[in-house]
Amino acid sequence: MRAPHLALSLTLAALVAVVAAQSAARAQSKPAALPDITGSWERHGLGPGARAGGPRDATIPPPPPQPQLKPQYAKEWQDRITAGRAADAKGEPLATNYTDCLPDGMPTMMGAMFPMEILQSRGQVTVIEEAFTQVRRILMDKPQKSVEDVEPGFYGYSVGRWEGDTLVVDTIGIKENVRFQNMPHSPQMRIKERMKLVSPNVLWNEITIEDPVVLEKPHTYTVAYRRMPDYTLLEYVCEDNREYADDKGRQKIRIN
Amino acid sequence: MTSRRTAWVGVVLSAVMMMAATAAAHHSFAVFDHTRTLTIRGTVTKFQWTNPHGFLEVDVPQPDGTTKHYSIELTSINMMQRVGWRSNMIKAGDKVTAVVAPLLSGDPVGLGLEVTMADGTTKPLPVPNAGSFKRTTETQ
Repeated sequence: MRAPHLALSLTLAALVAVVAAQSAARAQSKPAALPDITGSWERHGLGPGARAGGPRDATIPPPPPQPQLKPQYAKEWQDRITAGRAADAKGEPLATNYTDCLPDGMPTMMGAMFPMEILQSRGQVTVIEEAFTQVRRILMDKPQKSVEDVEPGFYGYSVGRWEGDTLVVDTIGIKENVRFQNMPHSPQMRIKERMKLVSPNVLWNEITIEDPVVLEKPHTYTVAYRRMPDYTLLEYVCEDNREYADDKGRQKIRIN
Repeated sequence: MTSRRTAWVGVVLSAVMMMAATAAAHHSFAVFDHTRTLTIRGTVTKFQWTNPHGFLEVDVPQPDGTTKHYSIELTSINMMQRVGWRSNMIKAGDKVTAVVAPLLSGDPVGLGLEVTMADGTTKPLPVPNAGSFKRTTETQ
C-alpha cells in the first residue's frame, strides 16, 4: 500500500520541481518590459504661461534653438519668412500647404497640433496625428534603406529600435515641398528621433534634422507630449475646404 | 514718430501673434480684421459641421427690408468638439447672435468668436489666440 503512495508523491514532487525550474528559466530569458507609450497624447508645454512664474516644470523641454542653414539657403529661407510676415501684416497671407488641406508631414506632424495616438504592435510602432488623419509607420528592427530606394512622401520611410528605454527612429524620403518651418531641404535629409518617457505620463521626443547639403549642423529640438488617458482620437476629413490660393499665391476664402 | 513706432510695434506684435496662431490652426487668421468685431443677428440657414472648418450660414435682415447673407467661419470641428460643441446645438431656422472678426476684404464672411444660441446661452469658439481680436460694438 505504501510503495505506490511514495512513488506517486515522488513523481509529483519531481513534476513540481521541473515546472518551477521551467518557469524560472522563462522568467530569466524574458526580455525586460518595453516602455508602454501606447495611447493618446497631446502637446505639453506650449502656450502662454507654460513657463511663466513658479518653479520651472522639469517635464517641459527647453525652447528650440535657431536652425543653422548654409549661407546660400539661409538667405532664401529668411526672405521667405520676411515675405510671409509682410503678407500677414497686410492681411493677405501667403498660401501654404494647409491652404490646399495638405497634411504637415514629417517632422512637423510630430509637433502634435491636435492630439496624437501611438500604437505599439508586433514589429511596428504607428503614430496617428488627428489633424488631417496623418499616419506614419515605424518599422521596428529593420535595416534602413538607401535614400535612392525610397520614393519621397509626406511621412517618409521610418525604421526604429529600442535602445534601453528610448525608442530610436530614423526617417528618410521626405518630399521637397514638405517643409519644417518653411526650411528648404535636400533628398539627403534624415530625421532622427529619440522618444523617452521622462515621467509616467510625459513623453519627450528629441528630434534631429540632418541635412549635409542645406544645414551647417544638425538641428536638434525637443517636443513633449502628455498622456490623455480618456481621449479617443476624432476623425478629420477635409470635407469642405473653402480656402484656395489665388494667382498671386495668396490665401483666399471662397465666398458662398 | 510715435505713430510710426506704434505701427512698427503693431507689425511685430501681429507677426508674433500670427506665428502663435498658425501653430494651432489650419490657416493664417491674418485675413480677418483684428481691430474690430461685428455682432451679427439673424436666422440660421445652415450649421455646417465640417473640416477643415465648420460654418454657420446666417441671413441677416437689413433696415431696408432686404436680407444679407453672412458666412461665419468656425474653427476645426475637432477643436469645437473638445470644448463641448455638438453638431445638433444649432439648426436651420434658429435665431442666433454671433460676434465675428470680419474679413479685411469686406466680403460678408467673419471668423466666429462666440455665438449666442436660440435658447440664450453663449458659447465661445476655441479660436487660437482669441484675445488678439479687439472687441467692438458694431452690429449688422
